[in-house]
Amino acid sequence: MNPAIATLVLILSAALLFVAPLLPAIVELRLKRDAQPLNVIQQYGGDIRHFAQGFRKIAVELHPQLQECVASSATAIGTLPDGDEYVLLGGAGESYLVAATKLDSTWRSVVAAGTDLALPDGLTFAKEIYAVGDLTGGERSTFRAILGDKDIHLQRGSKVIRWAHAARIFRADHDCDLFGRISADQEIQLQSGCVFQRMGAPMIVLGFSDTSASQSPSRSMNAAADATPAPAGRTLYDGDLEVRAGEVIPGSIVTRGKLHIGAGAHVLGSVKSNGHLTIDAGVSVDGSLLSATTTHVGPNCRIGGPVLAEQGVSIECGTHCGAADNPTTVAAPTIELEEGVVVFGSLWARNEGRVVPKA
Amino acid sequence: MIYCLFTIVFVISVYTARHYWFTLNRLFGVQRHPYIDTDTANWPQVTILVAAHNEEKVVANILSALMSVNYPSDRMLVVPVNDRSTDRTREIIDSFVEQFPGRIRPFHRTGGKGGKAAALKDAMELVETEAILIFDADYIPGSGLIKQLVAPFFDPEVGGVMGRVVPLNVGTNLLTRLLDLERSGGYQVDQQARMNLHLVPQHGGTVAGVRLSALREIGGWNENSLTEDTDLTYRLLLNGWQTVYQNRSECYEEVPENWPVRIRQIMRWAKGHNQALAAYGLYLLFGKHRATFRERIDGTLLLGVYAMAPVTLVGWLLALGVFYEGIVPLHGIIALFAFTAYAAVGNFAAFFEIAAAVRLDYTRRRICLLPFLVLGFAVSIFSVSRAFVSQVLAPITGAQFHWDKTERFRTTP
Repeated sequence: MNPAIATLVLILSAALLFVAPLLPAIVELRLKRDAQPLNVIQQYGGDIRHFAQGFRKIAVELHPQLQECVASSATAIGTLPDGDEYVLLGGAGESYLVAATKLDSTWRSVVAAGTDLALPDGLTFAKEIYAVGDLTGGERSTFRAILGDKDIHLQRGSKVIRWAHAARIFRADHDCDLFGRISADQEIQLQSGCVFQRMGAPMIVLGFSDTSASQSPSRSMNAAADATPAPAGRTLYDGDLEVRAGEVIPGSIVTRGKLHIGAGAHVLGSVKSNGHLTIDAGVSVDGSLLSATTTHVGPNCRIGGPVLAEQGVSIECGTHCGAADNPTTVAAPTIELEEGVVVFGSLWARNEGRVVPKA
Repeated sequence: MIYCLFTIVFVISVYTARHYWFTLNRLFGVQRHPYIDTDTANWPQVTILVAAHNEEKVVANILSALMSVNYPSDRMLVVPVNDRSTDRTREIIDSFVEQFPGRIRPFHRTGGKGGKAAALKDAMELVETEAILIFDADYIPGSGLIKQLVAPFFDPEVGGVMGRVVPLNVGTNLLTRLLDLERSGGYQVDQQARMNLHLVPQHGGTVAGVRLSALREIGGWNENSLTEDTDLTYRLLLNGWQTVYQNRSECYEEVPENWPVRIRQIMRWAKGHNQALAAYGLYLLFGKHRATFRERIDGTLLLGVYAMAPVTLVGWLLALGVFYEGIVPLHGIIALFAFTAYAAVGNFAAFFEIAAAVRLDYTRRRICLLPFLVLGFAVSIFSVSRAFVSQVLAPITGAQFHWDKTERFRTTP
């Protein structure tokens, strides 16, 4: 081969080899197929009621027709703009649903009831349910989503798959599985055996046979601590720490190891442990309670601020987290709460939360 | 010569291993987001400092966004720190003060030392709250961002908090697309891996927060620092305060749209970082302070990242020297080829890290641009090396450090 041609071929081949990996890059640069900024949701504030509020807009549009049904005790059906069918119950909703689900226990259209609604046992509702009055679910029923303008009461063994919101009180009997978001504008009450993920209400009472908490909601222990996440005074311990029973700690404490707070101690600030955190009975922590691993809170404690643990939290009966005028969050991948615990604010278990009987 | 090259290759290998460790941790490890579920709380009073120096193109956007965030308005005070602006920044800020009485307290600075740290230091006279958040004026915070950035302050171990920066003007040109990839790698992988592994997430000085008592304990803002964020990270660390990273606390920013602006930006970052390396490097590694062993190691490596650019350049030169001198290294020709190949292509682990970040962000097609990162890498390595040399020679040449403000490109105020 002519040396000049060979050189040219060599140069072209080398250039081709160099450019080949750049071809997809050049195409992407020119066509801009993936040149949008990452989707940062600017308006979503993380409100637990987000989906309920979205569905309420649909429910509001059904109101005029629903009122007509109530006035005539009639039932009506129709189709929503997104193509979903709906049924409007003006009265005697239970008998209508019983008759309609004789052959198939799965109800596949949106249900809106203009009055109180008591549902039969064992049904599966594949679409949303909306009730203007009180809603009582049947035993062992499964709900995709529920919006109640008054109370919602789920009976034993029921399931919520996505969300439920009650404008007043949400109650779940024993052994309910509450996946997704459960919220109420006044109160949530759960019996033992219930499993949950995310809940939010001014007051969340576990084991509602004990009504003392709901009758006398606690107030924050230290008004001065209300708006301050951690007092200026902080003591950092490099190893494990044991706080003696009855001791009063004037500021916040941070340990790089395990932390054990003895019965009746009072921490005026916040508590952080990078190891296991154990709180004995009757301890008060005005600020927050954090652990890089697991936290166990004994009975009858008072925690003012958020309770956050990176692996798990267990809380014994009689303990109050937050207060009526000082709402807070209890969050961990797994949460175990005994009957008799009261949380004012939010519970968030990424993996699983569970209500267990009092030991 | 060969032993110098050995040393350089060893140091680069340490960084390579670190990049792979971080990336694999992000892909397969347990992810830590300890504060993100703080949904309800008695939210504390917070002061939001907005650093603004000639920001007429962008300052209205951030003030509008802050006025509509999901945070109790009676517990939030916005302090625009107007640092000697000569454009319409003051006028725009004052119009917002009128529009939202009691919610914005401007700090108009007309003189004094230049630079963000100096401006923030002066503005501290208006700050009374324990929680302080800091934004640069080109950022656009979303509705839930303030709560997310305040939540870590419920932890008494936390002195600083850092959110994730997301470029908004991605599609403008090649540079913005490359910077988008770099930011992805830096935040989605690097910062989150450090958070996961209890290492040293870096305070970025914007989309960030600091606890007032921690700031006072470490002596306030260092006005002599070119990168007050790096300086803050290390002073907090040395005093036993953690800086935490919140990967889901995302905020849009504007990245440079032309190379000269980018080069000035990265040179300032490099000089500031090297300042911190000189000030805290040895003390962090060997001194008596509150940092843990793993924080000492990671913190030192983090301090050294910008010093690695000139080191890599020297490595390339040494590799050439070794080749042409015909020096056969200890383990023969194979080792020579390995060193030469490594020195020639630099550190591919960073590319792997960025590719993993793109995957984690579910933005798959932009990964096609990965080969172009060599261009960004080359520009960075020479710019950072230039910054390093000018810094080293500064005592001889008498050159003064000065703060270069990053130019803005947004067209709609």
